[in-house]
Amino acid sequence: MMDKLKLGVFELTDCGGCALNMLFLYERLFDLLEFYEITEFHMATSLREGNHYDVALVTGTVSTQRDLNLLKEARNHSDYLIALGTCATHGSVQASVELPIREKLKAVYGDEGNPMRALDSKPVVEYVAVDFALPGCPYDKNEVYQVLLDIAKGIEPVKKDYPVCLECKLNEYECVLVKKGLPCLGPITYGGCNAVCVRSGLGCIGCRGPLPGEVNPAGEYEVLRELGYDDEYIIRKFKTFARWEP
Amino acid sequence: MIIETREFTRVEGNGKAEIVIEDGEVKDVRLKIIEGPRFFELLTLGRHYYDVPDLEARICAICYLSHSVASVLGIERAFGVEVPEEIQLIRELGLIGEFLESHSLHLYLLVAPDLFGYPDAIRMATKHGELVKEGLALKSFGNRIRVMVGGREIHGINVKPGGFGRWPLPEELEAVEREADGLLTIARRSVRLFSEIGPYGGKAELFVATDGYLTGESLISNIEKNFHYTERIEERPLVYSFAKQSLYNGRPFLVGSLARLLLKGDSLTPLARRLFEEHREKLETGYVSYNNLAQAIELVYSLERAKEIAKTLLDGGIERENVPVEAREGEGIGYVEAPRGVLIHHYRIDGNGSISYSNIITPTALNHAMMERALLWEARELYGEVPEEEMLGRLEETVRAFDPCISCSVHFAKL
Ligand code: SF4
Ligand code: SF4
Repeated sequence: MMDKLKLGVFELTDCGGCALNMLFLYERLFDLLEFYEITEFHMATSLREGNHYDVALVTGTVSTQRDLNLLKEARNHSDYLIALGTCATHGSVQASVELPIREKLKAVYGDEGNPMRALDSKPVVEYVAVDFALPGCPYDKNEVYQVLLDIAKGIEPVKKDYPVCLECKLNEYECVLVKKGLPCLGPITYGGCNAVCVRSGLGCIGCRGPLPGEVNPAGEYEVLRELGYDDEYIIRKFKTFARWEP
Repeated sequence: MIIETREFTRVEGNGKAEIVIEDGEVKDVRLKIIEGPRFFELLTLGRHYYDVPDLEARICAICYLSHSVASVLGIERAFGVEVPEEIQLIRELGLIGEFLESHSLHLYLLVAPDLFGYPDAIRMATKHGELVKEGLALKSFGNRIRVMVGGREIHGINVKPGGFGRWPLPEELEAVEREADGLLTIARRSVRLFSEIGPYGGKAELFVATDGYLTGESLISNIEKNFHYTERIEERPLVYSFAKQSLYNGRPFLVGSLARLLLKGDSLTPLARRLFEEHREKLETGYVSYNNLAQAIELVYSLERAKEIAKTLLDGGIERENVPVEAREGEGIGYVEAPRGVLIHHYRIDGNGSISYSNIITPTALNHAMMERALLWEARELYGEVPEEEMLGRLEETVRAFDPCISCSVHFAKL
């Protein structure tokens, strides 16, 4: 049998969801282990034997100097690096707090020092080149499973490039934007979650980040304005998971 | 001299500890939470209340639903909204799903490898595959409940002020009733297995919990009934940690499974209650390591209670009606028992429905001072008695017994 690929999971500052979601693969995690050997994954194992990774998964935002060092180490020692989850690809919720770090620290910890070297939260993609970006807060676990299988088989994984809306249509969910007037970001958000929130009859809050390209954020903006939402509300909604997006 | 542990493994989030040695003796231990701050209160400030529970869910993946529910309760109390029993029961069912998911993650995937001498559950599975499978079965059942109530396995947005986006279907509740029953044997076995863990980590003397088993109007402890956190619990920032420390009347205290059993053991379901009585003497010693056993007993409780709730809802028939919520100026606190213990969401909301003040205290933050004390106790027992490597391993196990959720702990603001 061929040698297994070495897999590392690195967690920067985040909610733990993107690392945890790997464990939610259950038995399928063991299927992946036919191809991979996990050599770094501190949530799941006490072993630390990696110094080279064929594939590195990095979750979370860079929010401290420690995060930045860890990210660079992961990048320098891996062949294929995946920014995993919206924290890593777009910054997610913690990056959307728009105050300079010193002011934020002051509001929370009450003094002006920064002894532990906190940084303004930014996504992984701001600091290093990544080989693949898989958004989602958290990402869809079927998607990461497929991506890891593809890589193991030497196939370049495919990036989803359609909005959540399309998945609503495929599932024949009633459009909550048109029918209920709920603020739904489905038209301008990366698909891949199978429109799971619309299944609950609720509007997409944009957790997979804004879809670039063909989509029309200005149009979405107008629709929400017509539904009676004010500017500030709409802008904050747009920026919740991706402050750093142009 | 300072001995530093490596970053903890098999815990959620990033942390480590420093042991300060002076004149050949352990002088102090510092628990350093090095996970970056995430500023959730700043994030929610000025935002419309309706969107807030979905954002707060992102504080923690392992217990996102506890955050959603605590947030919703805080908002509803601020507006003076009362929801009927069926909504309360469905929320409780969701929280129970979270107990099952979280406790089984901790016990089977994070702690069991220590019992059998493996670095992780994956490598343990070659010899103890059945056991790992049993843990995963409990975990996935818990997650199915989270999907049903919360909308997704992680960070669902279905729990809303006044009710739900989507309500559970009768056939889903029937499945819960059926499967909960089937899993009870596994949970009983887990009590036997985790009762083998011995005493370590020192004794806790003060315990705090909410007044109901899973949610509450106020807090209780072993020295007083019904108080608000604002009256008794004081938080202080530390220079070496992104998490603050909380003290109750100036002293460290314990929240979580062990505290819940000791304070509310009387309200357990029948089988869980019997198991609690069986191990009561041991649990009452207050050793931190018995938190593992307490969690195993709560697995049994969760399954029995899930079945009870599903049955009640099915027998009564569900109305499926959300309570209308109207924003008005107000202040409210939501108390929930997250799997790791008391979780507090406190909001002030203005007349337009925007958040004007928020304070969140998580179980791991509440336990922070107690964790340091447990580490100090353990380090004093072991330093000089066993090789350093062994001591550090034991300290990591002591931290693990708290089942800390470090991501959770790093973002609270008094504004
Ligand atoms: S992307 Fe979302 S789920 Fe993933 S780590 Fe960040 S906050 Fe958690
Ligand atoms: S519907 Fe939107 S908010 Fe929900 S999971 Fe998909 S992208 Fe995220």
